[in-house]
Amino acid sequence: MSEIQENGLGAVETKARLLDLKSLDSPKAMKLYRRFDGIIILILFMFLILGVQIQFTLTAGDWDYWIDWRDRRWWPLVAPFSLLLFIAPFTYGIWARVRLPIMATAVTLLLCLVSWLSRYLNFHEFTHFPLSFVFPSTYIGLGILLDCALAISRSLLVSSLVGGGLFGALVYPINWSFMAPYKVPVEFNGMLMSVADLMGYQYIRTTTPEYLRIIEESTLRTFGGSVTPLTAVFSALCGMVIYMIFLWVGSWINGLDKYTKRIV
Amino acid sequence: MNKLIAGKKWLGSVMAGLVLVILAGDALAHGERAQLASMRMRTVHWFDTKVEPLNIKVGDIVTVTGKLVTSEWWPKHMPSIDETVFLNMGVPGPTFLRLHSEVNGVPMMRSTAFPLGKVYEYKTVMRARVAGRYHVHPILNVKDSGSLVDKGTWVEVAEADTDAPFVNEVTTLPGETIDLETYALKGVYTWHLIWIAMGVAYLLYWLLRKELFIPRFIRIRELGADRANELLTKKDFVVSSVFFTVTLAVVLAGYLWAENKYPITIPLQTGLVEVEPIEIPKGGLAVEVDHATYDLAGRSLSMKFQMTNNNDSPLRIGEFLTANIRFLNPNVDEGEIYEGEEMVSTDGLTASVDTIQPGQTVAVELVASDALWEQYRMTGLIHDPDSRFAGMIFYYDENGQRYFQEVGGAVLPNFF
Ligand SMILES: [Cu+2]
Repeated sequence: MSEIQENGLGAVETKARLLDLKSLDSPKAMKLYRRFDGIIILILFMFLILGVQIQFTLTAGDWDYWIDWRDRRWWPLVAPFSLLLFIAPFTYGIWARVRLPIMATAVTLLLCLVSWLSRYLNFHEFTHFPLSFVFPSTYIGLGILLDCALAISRSLLVSSLVGGGLFGALVYPINWSFMAPYKVPVEFNGMLMSVADLMGYQYIRTTTPEYLRIIEESTLRTFGGSVTPLTAVFSALCGMVIYMIFLWVGSWINGLDKYTKRIV
Repeated sequence: MNKLIAGKKWLGSVMAGLVLVILAGDALAHGERAQLASMRMRTVHWFDTKVEPLNIKVGDIVTVTGKLVTSEWWPKHMPSIDETVFLNMGVPGPTFLRLHSEVNGVPMMRSTAFPLGKVYEYKTVMRARVAGRYHVHPILNVKDSGSLVDKGTWVEVAEADTDAPFVNEVTTLPGETIDLETYALKGVYTWHLIWIAMGVAYLLYWLLRKELFIPRFIRIRELGADRANELLTKKDFVVSSVFFTVTLAVVLAGYLWAENKYPITIPLQTGLVEVEPIEIPKGGLAVEVDHATYDLAGRSLSMKFQMTNNNDSPLRIGEFLTANIRFLNPNVDEGEIYEGEEMVSTDGLTASVDTIQPGQTVAVELVASDALWEQYRMTGLIHDPDSRFAGMIFYYDENGQRYFQEVGGAVLPNFF
């Protein structure tokens, strides 16, 4: 009692907190809490779906729409960058308040589901693209790694170094399991193309001409076949930094509730 | 319950996306009218556009051929076509498969550059994929400038005779014949399902517990930030470690499995293609523009020239072309009109001098007038910030040999 009062809380607040704590033993109150928890999950997930879809469309858009955009240099940088800066503030908020390491998995999973829905309806049913050309990438495994790194280490710093790093580094490998067949070479009109390039040529996109693709260009600047590992290392570094910066942004946003509490 | 409501939300955002797609699609369908009049006059002159056949079935081939001249009057404020351009086709999505395209005989799978004032002959071969009635427009996507759209031709695509699904077979370099319509989708579905299952399992582990958000919040508030980690149990630690390890193992296994199954892969290919331009054929007609006026009421453009015939043969002006509209001189009666061709005014051109004799220098007035000016919003010419026109004149020698060249200059409006 006296300990809490030393923390600078008023008598009313202290009493309220005690009552809150006691309520955890009451089945009636717990039932109510569970109902509220359901509503929280619902609202949170809906918000995440909307948010991540807008954010990912605006930043990673074409890289994730078309298989002939998922190159080994830009896409593995853009995608984790876009996702990590969205995930980090939520992770901070949820971790600080309720110690649940779930936001990265939730965001990547929801993004996957909403992407499939949009690719199927918008791109396939409505605009006639074959799904083999517009299927989404997966980032769920990366989300699990990021969340688990936090759950295991219980430290935001360690999780951004290990989890943020893995999130950046593994974008290409995790998708390679089903993306590899699209990088098989084809000869077309005497030119060497990957299957993905050929699909990009054959399935006409009137407003997305070939030159718009921002993909790795010359092979002279690169060191033979080591583009992928080099990009992975760079992407891992970016992942760590971005994640840390936006965790900090999250902590700042989280601090804002001081003001709201005062007003209430 | 949770799922149902969440599902509705997705549907909402998807519907919003659909509306956007519909709007964009509609604007594109008639891009031929959308651009500024002067832009259409002074960018590229498309001619001899031929789409055939016009009535086909799904699976049939349609060929689009034509020529274009890049305008010497290209607007200075617009990034030029002599940097990066891609020969494309204006169809609603992949309703056609592009099997082949070329410019001046060079395959055009990638982007290229078109120097100004030259002729380019293009050809695109497509296979109908989805039944429907389409306005097929050749298009040039010019980097940083946008799309230059030729006039459209309606193509009617009927359903195929068989119910068999559309296939698009290709043989890869390693020798496997694949159908691009469904290629490698099994792997895509399988891996996505694996990851979705993993993600759902992980979330269920954390969310299906007696004390979730509110109780945990109360406990953490009580414990304080320093001791908040006590909320994480030993079981949480073990389960997270298992998920971490399994995830890493699955990523690695998937990667190695794919490397093993597809040992030969290449990066995405890109780079500019070079194409040799064709010079405009010399017909020996020297043309100087004196004066051009645009008559709003008469919907006509009248141009006064000083012309000198340096050819051995008498020359007659048979056609004026601007902004994809053909104005034909009925007295000369040359110039083929293709089946399904639009934007042709068969008697839209009058020439004050019918035949220019060899060696003769003469003042010629050409008047191009037709309601098409209005229909294709060319009347907006006087509202353009840079009031200049450009177009192509086509002329013929006594053997019916066709020559063409570009003319252009300032244009003044005439309100009365
Ligand atoms: Cu049209």
